[in-house]
Amino acid sequence: MPVKHAMLGLLAGGQVHGYDLKADFERELAPSDRLNFGQVYSTLDRLGRDGLVTHAVVPQAERPDRKVYSLTESGTRELREWLERPTPIELDLRNETFLKLMVARRLDWADPMQVVATERRACFERLHEFATAKTQANRDGAPVQTVLLLELAILRVEAIVKWLERCEEVFNEESKER
Amino acid sequence: MTTSRPIVETRALTKTFGEGPGAVHALRGIDLKLVEGEFVAVMGPSGSGKSTLLHLIGGLDTPSSGTVCVGGQDLCGLDDDALTLVRRRRIGFVFQAYNLLGVLSAWENVSLPLEIDGVRESVARQSAMASLKHVGMDHRRDHLPGQLSGGEQQRVAMARALVAGPLLLLADEPTGNLDSAGGDRIIATLRQLADDNAQTILMVTHNASHAAAADRIVRLKDGCVIEEQLLGSGRSPKQVLADLESST
Repeated sequence: MPVKHAMLGLLAGGQVHGYDLKADFERELAPSDRLNFGQVYSTLDRLGRDGLVTHAVVPQAERPDRKVYSLTESGTRELREWLERPTPIELDLRNETFLKLMVARRLDWADPMQVVATERRACFERLHEFATAKTQANRDGAPVQTVLLLELAILRVEAIVKWLERCEEVFNEESKER
Repeated sequence: MTTSRPIVETRALTKTFGEGPGAVHALRGIDLKLVEGEFVAVMGPSGSGKSTLLHLIGGLDTPSSGTVCVGGQDLCGLDDDALTLVRRRRIGFVFQAYNLLGVLSAWENVSLPLEIDGVRESVARQSAMASLKHVGMDHRRDHLPGQLSGGEQQRVAMARALVAGPLLLLADEPTGNLDSAGGDRIIATLRQLADDNAQTILMVTHNASHAAAADRIVRLKDGCVIEEQLLGSGRSPKQVLADLESST
């Protein structure tokens, strides 16, 4: 998770206190993620050293002074470039399901179709959780961030289900040829 | 909430189209049971027998052998008139095509099956309104089908299927013609009907996440049930998101 750019994005709205950045991040940007204050302040320090963020001290009566942070010009530029740059697509093809299927396919005593069935059951169990959560989220008027994150989870699991169906077709053809 | 009262029970159900070497064995001995309030999804590749199964359970076609009981009544022993009554009063149908009459308003479409069944117009109208409310379409009751989106038309079709208070709702690819939001709404409505009204539902679908909203998935292949999966009770978005967090 590129916390650095997420923070630049939050600061683009105006001056923000470090404490509020954590809450804004979790509420507005990433409902599935949690930041700790150490991460927030170490990231702000680093952004300050790089000249992307500056801060002002706001004196407070009866309480310690507050530091409020804002973007510098180069911070805005960095944020704009990040938004315009395509993100490398996360594609980890070395997944365990794939390896299991390939191993089962090589062994006389293992059944790759059984592996497909087991993996698919696990996918549907997850899909059931996500689908139920999404229905409830929609019913409760949950924030769009939550709904879209669940959509992402659902679509990713659906993609695995489709791929497993494809594997099944290929293994079927292979077993017919034997 | 499900009870153990069986609503659908098929035994050794077969259906063969044609004869001799060219015969197509669409179903090869299906034993399937649905209890009250259960929402079951049927999945399987094209030609696996999904729609045939739905048609036999709905009394739209007769089996080659085996039995189909709906609400304890064996459909195979009924003559055409009795079967028509069962279809009209005990079974609701929703198809991929909405099959609404374009010249009738939403509520008139919904009340039509009751009027055909001889129910007084005022009673039929009242039931139609209640049914439209059930699927969240009462605010569109006076609209013609052409003035409604696909998802809204399908919800009117669902209200029509439910208006007689059927024991069983059969849905054949109900989201097949809809966009993602419209499809989700239909599935949410089906889920709610099962949860809040103990409506028994059998749905054929190709959509994995829509099937995953059901309580159980029955997988068909070459006319046989090859797998059944009971799905969990689901968790709140908060719990699911907390899980997502720990997996990132």
